[in-house]
This record gives sequence, structure tokens and C-alpha cells, in this order.
Amino acid sequence: MDNELFMNTELPPPSEMAMHFEQPSSSSAMLNWGLMDPNLARNSPPQDCFMWEKSTEQQQSIFDSALSSLVSSPTPSNSNFSGGGGDGFIIRELIGKLGIIGNTSGDIYGAPMNGNVSRSASCYATPMSSPPPMMNRTAPLTEFSGDPGFAERAAKFSCFGSRSFNGRTNSGIPVNNGKIVNSGKLTRVSSTPALKALASPMIPAGDSPPKLPGEFSRKRKSVSKGKSKDNPLPVASPSPSFSKTAERKEVSEEKGGKRRREDEGEEEEGNNKGGNDTKPPEPPKDYIHVRARRGQATDSHSLAERVRREKIGERMKLLQDLVPGCNKVTGKALMLDEIINYVQSLQRQVEFLSMKLSSVNDTRLEFNVDALVSKDAMISSSGSRVHESGLQLESLSHHNYNNNSQLHTNVSSNNMMLHSPMKSLEPSALARGFTHLPTLTQFTDTISQYQMFSEEDLQSIVGMGVAHNPNHESQSQNMKIEL
Amino acid sequence: MASAYNPIYTDVPEKDVFALHFLQTLSNLRTQNSFSSPDNKTSDRVKKIKKAAYVSMARAAGATNRLWSRSLLHQAAKRNNKNVRFLRRKRRVTWLMRRRSNRGDPIEDVAAERLRNLVPGGGGMETSKLMEETAHYIKCLSMQVKVMQCLVDGLSPK
Repeated sequence: MDNELFMNTELPPPSEMAMHFEQPSSSSAMLNWGLMDPNLARNSPPQDCFMWEKSTEQQQSIFDSALSSLVSSPTPSNSNFSGGGGDGFIIRELIGKLGIIGNTSGDIYGAPMNGNVSRSASCYATPMSSPPPMMNRTAPLTEFSGDPGFAERAAKFSCFGSRSFNGRTNSGIPVNNGKIVNSGKLTRVSSTPALKALASPMIPAGDSPPKLPGEFSRKRKSVSKGKSKDNPLPVASPSPSFSKTAERKEVSEEKGGKRRREDEGEEEEGNNKGGNDTKPPEPPKDYIHVRARRGQATDSHSLAERVRREKIGERMKLLQDLVPGCNKVTGKALMLDEIINYVQSLQRQVEFLSMKLSSVNDTRLEFNVDALVSKDAMISSSGSRVHESGLQLESLSHHNYNNNSQLHTNVSSNNMMLHSPMKSLEPSALARGFTHLPTLTQFTDTISQYQMFSEEDLQSIVGMGVAHNPNHESQSQNMKIEL
Repeated sequence: MASAYNPIYTDVPEKDVFALHFLQTLSNLRTQNSFSSPDNKTSDRVKKIKKAAYVSMARAAGATNRLWSRSLLHQAAKRNNKNVRFLRRKRRVTWLMRRRSNRGDPIEDVAAERLRNLVPGGGGMETSKLMEETAHYIKCLSMQVKVMQCLVDGLSPK
């Protein structure tokens, strides 16, 4: 990535050089750093795009020579670049060479292209290296102080000079966030003393590491929040905003895929009301607000899909509680199979039981059905009064099975007595009540008024009824016969 | 589960309600057939009783509140050629709509299809709604089974 940058910077000039090549100037002198410095001092601020065109001819030659020198041999200036990683070393070299070339000719790199970088690079042949070289360069650096733009560019270039291009310096040196960015920015950090030397030569190198990375991180964050936004520099160093923004934009463009992805991830969260990878809350509104989770697509379809899947998962849990023996099974498909089996088994059970019911003796069933229902009606009765009336009813009912009206009246009177909703059953009452057998129609009337019995009650009722049934049956039959 | 707050409402009434309804239905059945000669074949009786069971279950569980109960009653009424009391035109989700909304896994779709065939009225439901209905249906079914079991136990010859 770094190399690309420099490749870009390198290429246009050579092409132009090819076009505008003229007599080479004192190219050899270009390599002389000492010569460079006065040239730098003389140079106007590098914002001038026009300089580029004016001085192209000279610069072409300078470029040519510089490039050739670079290519041919490791220059003696290498010794100056003792700091920094091995990768950045070469780059810094290149930048330095280019920068010097640019400076000598005025401002070649005013052109707002990739040459921006080189523009900055041009000015900062010296300050791009580590502290030790800085020491050497304090003298030439002081010359830079005349040009505030140089300080800016130096700061920026320092970051270019380092291995990674992540973040940029504000050229504001004393930014103190206390954060230390993890990426290998030490090389960059090391270059800041140069800037500090510009502003105040007494800045210790130790201060820069915590400040710069923090700044970088801050910068990065700010960039991530809003892409390629111009942040006002926290440092009061006067800087040509033009160059800065241009460079920042460039750097933002140059940013690696990782950073980009990170930013996108953060931005995604930011877009979705804050990076929160918790589940989407469901406020009590018509619309269900969903938050996209980190690292997931924010497509509306996928969001809806996720909501749907969560709903289904919720219901699956509910069903899991219902269906016995589903706890061991995991996975939607198996769970659903279990549920289906359970439903099928329940339905088969219903069918089986209905078969059984139908096989029960018809009269017995009817009888018992009536009895059961009536028992329920009688249950709330507490006294024998009801019992007696029930007995009367029973006899009557057997005689007048079809005579609904008469019994109906009886039952209705009975109903009034038994009006209170029954909650508990008395076995004795049950036993007695079971004998009373109003007609079917009366059943429904009575039953509707009462709460029905629970299972145990039902069983007890039935049990009692069955137990007492033959006696009463015979009794009733006898009564029938008698009457 | 009474204490837990369940946003998905799947409570069913107590057994006695089921029993009541079932017995009522049975008695209705009796009144319809009792005085005619019981020449009915066993299968007919079985079918009738079964239908009575389902209908009573649907009624007991809140007839119109649930999709499955409504469709059950609707089916039953249609078979009897009775006038359907709950003639509510519910908007049926067309296949196309369902396809659009149910772009889910094929795995769960297959199982969901089977479930739809089982649960009455499940043909026009989305999967999540279907599962709600299934939960309620399971509860009601189990309740009905219990009631019927009690009845059978009580009425079986000693």
C-alpha cells in the first residue's frame, strides 16, 4: 500500500519528465542534502499548483537524477535513516529524495494529485526519520520553521513514512489522549519529534508516543464516524488546510481494507442507533424496531428474516415446554417432528377414546351422561332437602322420560336451590346426587349454571355413580314397575 | 406456567369446561339419535362421537378466538349442512403471500407443512402463527383426552 502510494507519486513525474525533458540541471547537486536545505528554505509554500507547471522542466531533470540515484545505489543518506522499520525505510528514502527534488524546484507537488503526498514528502526529507537523525537535522529543521506548511507536511509525511498509513497526524503534536493504538505506529511516532522540534525543540521524544497514537486513534474514529470529514486540528499549528484536507482525503482513500471494514462495521452500528449487538428490543409500538447486529447485513429483507426466525424460535421454546420429552431434542427440524408426532398421537387418542365411548352400552352411556350432568347440578346441594327433591325428580324422570315440561319445571325449581356455583364436591352428596336423573334437556340447563367438576371430581362422581348405579337402577326400575 | 408472563397467550380453560361441553354435545347427539333405532354401525357412532368431541373441544377452548377452533366448527357445520353460526370471513393468506413471507429454511418448511395438515385451519397461516395455534391446540387436545379418558374409565363396565 505504501509502495503503491509512492509508485503513484513517482509515475506521473516521470511521464511528465519524458514529455518535458530538457537539459538536466545540476542533478548531482540534488543528492547533496546540504544543498537541498537552502533550496528548501527558499521554496515557497507547496500549495502552489502553478509552480508545478513553471518548474516542471527543472524538476523533471531533478526527478530523473534523483530517481536514478535512488535506483542505482543506496545513497549515503541511508545512514541518516536509522530509525523505522525496514519497510518504511526504503519508502522514506524515496520520499525524501522526491521531497528534496520537489523542494529545490519550488513546489512541484502543488498538483492536486497523488503528488500531494509527494509534496509533503518533498518538504520533509529530513524530518521523516527517527529521533537520532532528527538530532542531526535540527539545524536544517530550523529552517523549516519559517514555513508553517512544512510543519504540517512533515507531520503528515511522518505518518507516510511509517509502515502503515493508518491515520494521519494532525501535525498537531501535543495531542494527549493517553490512548495507544495497537497498530505499528511507532515509526510514525518517532517522527513526530521532528515536528516538535519545529514547534518547540525541547519536546522530549517520550511524549509523542502516547499522544500521537491517541491522536491517530481519535482521528480514525472521527473519520469512521463521518467519512473524510475535516476535523479541526486540535493543535494550533497553522497549517494550510488545503494540503491537509487533500492529504486526509487521500489517506482516507488509501486506508487499508481492514480499517475500512472496521469502519464499516462501526458505521453500520452507528447507522443503527449505536453499536449494540444485543437483541432487538420490541417496544410497544406498531412497528418492531430491530437493530442490526454487528457484522450482519442491514438489508431490510434480512432484518425481517431475522425477526421472523426469532419469533419462530420463541414459539418453539413454548412448544418445547408443552410437548413432553422434547428437552433432549435440539434443532428446529427434530423439534418440529416431535411436535407433529405428539399432535398425531393426541388425535389418535381422541379417536380411540371415542371408539371406546361408542362401544359403551348405549343406555349406560346415556344414563351416565345424564347422571353426571345432574350430579354436577346437585353437587352444590348441601342438604337432604335437595336430595329428596332430587329423588322425586328421579322417579319422575324415569317415568316421564319424554315429558320434558313437567320435569323441566321441577328441575328449574331445583335449580334455584342449587344456584350457588359449586367448587367443592361432597362424596356423600355425590353419591346421593348420582341417583337423580333428570332428563337430558334439563341437564344442559342446569349444567350451564354451574362450574364443572375437575378430573378427580369427575372420576369420583363416576365411580360413585357406577358403584351406586345398579342399586339405584334397580330401584328406579322397581319404581317404574310400581308406578 | 401460570406465574410466568407469556406474551403468547395460550391458556385454556379448566377440564370442567371441556367436560361440560363434551357432555352437552354428547347429549345433543343422544337426543338426535336416541329414539331412532340404534341400527347405526359402529363406525358411524364412532365418527359421531369423535366429531362431537372435536366440536365440543373447539367450543370449550374459545370458539372464535382461535383459528383452529373456528375452522373446526366451520368444517363440522359444513358437514352437517347446518347454518354456520360463526360466519366470519377471515382473510385467507394466499399461497403467494405465504411464499413471500415464508422464505425460511426448507427444513422447517417441510415440517411446517406437515403441521399445517394436522392442525385444523393451518393452511392459511404463517409459520409463527401456526406454532402459536399448535401450542393452543395441543393444550386443548390434551385436556379433551383427559376428559374422555375419565368418562371412559367411569363408564366402562366394572
